[in-house]
Amino acid sequence: MLVIKKIALLGLVLIALNFIYKQFAFTAFVEQYADQYLQVDKIKDCDVIYVSASSNFPPENIPENDPRKISQFVSDHFPSLRFEAINKPASHAGVYRHLLALFPEESEAKTFVIAINLRSFGPSWINSELETALNQSNVFYNQRPVLLNRFLLSLNSYDNASAEERSATIQHHWSVDELPFPAPKNTVNNWCAVEKWGDWRNPKRQLADQFIKQFGFVIDAENPRVKDFDAMCEVGRARNISIVFNLLAENIETADSLVGRDLTHLMRQNTAWLVDRYTSKGFRLVDNLDVLRERNFTDKDFPTEHYDEEGRKIIAKNVAEALKELHP
Amino acid sequence: MLFNSLPFLLFLPTVVAMYFILPHRWRWMLLLAASYFFYGYWKIEYLGLILFSTIVDFFTAQFIASSETQLKKKIGLSMSLFTNLGLLALFKYSGWFMADVLHPISAVNDAQLNDFQSFWTFALPVGISFYTFQTLGYTIDVYYGRAIPEKNPFKFALFVSFFPQLVAGPIERFSHLHHQLFTEKKFDYSFLQHGGRLILYGLFIKMCVADNISPIVDQVFEQQNDASSAQLIIGALLFGIQIYSDFHGYSLIAIGTARLLGIALMDNFNAPYTATSIREFWSKWHISLSTWFRDYLFIPLGGSRVSNTKLAVNILIVFIVSGLWHGANWTFVAWGAIHGFSYLIERWFISKYTAAWLKFPQWMATMFIVFLAWILFRSASMESAAYYISNAVSSESAGISIEWSAISISFIGLFLLSDLHFKNSSIHIWLNKQSAIARWAVYAFFILSIAGFAGTTNHPFIYFQF
Repeated sequence: MLVIKKIALLGLVLIALNFIYKQFAFTAFVEQYADQYLQVDKIKDCDVIYVSASSNFPPENIPENDPRKISQFVSDHFPSLRFEAINKPASHAGVYRHLLALFPEESEAKTFVIAINLRSFGPSWINSELETALNQSNVFYNQRPVLLNRFLLSLNSYDNASAEERSATIQHHWSVDELPFPAPKNTVNNWCAVEKWGDWRNPKRQLADQFIKQFGFVIDAENPRVKDFDAMCEVGRARNISIVFNLLAENIETADSLVGRDLTHLMRQNTAWLVDRYTSKGFRLVDNLDVLRERNFTDKDFPTEHYDEEGRKIIAKNVAEALKELHP
Repeated sequence: MLFNSLPFLLFLPTVVAMYFILPHRWRWMLLLAASYFFYGYWKIEYLGLILFSTIVDFFTAQFIASSETQLKKKIGLSMSLFTNLGLLALFKYSGWFMADVLHPISAVNDAQLNDFQSFWTFALPVGISFYTFQTLGYTIDVYYGRAIPEKNPFKFALFVSFFPQLVAGPIERFSHLHHQLFTEKKFDYSFLQHGGRLILYGLFIKMCVADNISPIVDQVFEQQNDASSAQLIIGALLFGIQIYSDFHGYSLIAIGTARLLGIALMDNFNAPYTATSIREFWSKWHISLSTWFRDYLFIPLGGSRVSNTKLAVNILIVFIVSGLWHGANWTFVAWGAIHGFSYLIERWFISKYTAAWLKFPQWMATMFIVFLAWILFRSASMESAAYYISNAVSSESAGISIEWSAISISFIGLFLLSDLHFKNSSIHIWLNKQSAIARWAVYAFFILSIAGFAGTTNHPFIYFQF
């Protein structure tokens, strides 16, 4: 009986401490580790929310006539709607699904545009070193008492594999994951080994290598990002939220010229798989994979989804077309 | 599994509840299963090694006890020493031997060295130095007739693997721990109260003090080329506090965990930074290891009843072996040597000065040596340590940008004050003297600090690497 009384008292103390922590200390920690948590509260009463990684932003250090974000260009098409954006560099569906769930039931935001980077389905991104920080943030996005979330963060109760472990996992995937081509293009490592652009010091060789590493994979239903998107679809259905997936453009021209048709075929095959999966589930997926030219990509030494003004406007226009079906 | 992890926080109450629900005759089996689960949770492969060590020491102890001649007993003991120290040598020191001895004389090439080190570094089992010493102590005790060997190999396996103290001590003696594991105990609320308090305080000093200091210490030691003299000195001081709070915190959680089961483990620390001599420091720091070396190395070497020269050699052996026990690096050897030489100087020249007014300068001198030696302990190499020390004296750098947190500084201050207050006592005794409201206020403070303000980066206990 004494033990039960003490446990009950401990429970009361914990409730009181959670309240004190939330009132006086939680905001400072969230600002440091998971600022999007606070952002959700600020923007929950708008019409459309654009969620993406860094692709939404204009390039730094390149002067433009209209250096605005993709989300702002989209909003130009809908003057009567309130648009907001949530952006976090390197984030992906594994983060977005938690953010989506954070929006309260009574939120006025009923349309979400979710950006999809094709790269994010590959082992390089899934096992990136940046994942540890994102996983830390995800601890805060869970719907639990805030003091418990903070405690779990201290206990490292999330996937916090070391950089070496992550690197080893990526290497493992590159060496064993089968690609739908005969050898030597049957794995990423084998494919990279036969690239035609001279030795490793040649920048073209390095870039070709990165294209293979970033896009050399086959998406299937077991892919963790697919599961994340599926989870988002579930939330969307359960809460009557409209979700528009915005599959971002990739530098197909450069991939084609450096690596060849096999890689671009694989990229298109993966895209088709995603389009089929989510349109068949009743969601809209804007396929921007091949809509931009090489000149629209601002990073020239690594495959990214960073676009110039023209590129951002083209993508925004395509997204707006899809949104018009929801907001005529 | 780590003490400061969610799996352990679920594992512990489950084991404690099952322990007191089960009839007495089943309890030790539960503890054995729980201990192997606890250890195997890191890597299942680790179990093979502890099992091997257990089997060897079980049978060598039986052999020693049943041998009628001294020669046979010595053979038995040698087998135990060879096996246990051989395991340590293989897993812990072979990489160092290859790199620092064979590689410089070109007996192995770079590729061979890399392959060897990457395998053995990966394979180094957590806590091998701790359980190896514990089981070695057992066979030595049997050899000297101080312990009657356990006849049940499974019960002996529990003595070796008892999970609260398996991976980082306290290193227990057979005569102290063994009988407690098998004595019938009725559930008593005081077990929960005592153990819970120690665990709470241990988690506080590990997670709030050590883990909040850790990023600053890492930054200073990694950027020592750019740090100012003041920052390097503060970095060394903070490392001394970090390693103490980290290991003391671990020990308290271990002792508290055992206490929940009604088992008393030995204390491992007693305010070591209040010591006014190196001798006193070692009577307060990692007590279970320093007494192990005293009982199983210093005394067999002849103890104090030998000539001054032999005594000096014995003391240096003990301290240097103690340094090597911590890790395979010349920095640990130098760390042990600094303590050994200081101990001798103190014994021969300083210990006769006992005036009260000398206590403060003696404390200052002791702390200077202890914290200077910590620089060697923390540095990756002798060169790095020498560079750190010379820059701490005269760095021309403007300094690095360090993020100080008022909360972290407050935690450090509170820890040092409380440590001073609990000297020769414990938080449990202190809390017993407080009113119920004061006690619960202290609990609430610890819970809020641990849950809300602990360090956020991944820092395993420092002593796990040893």
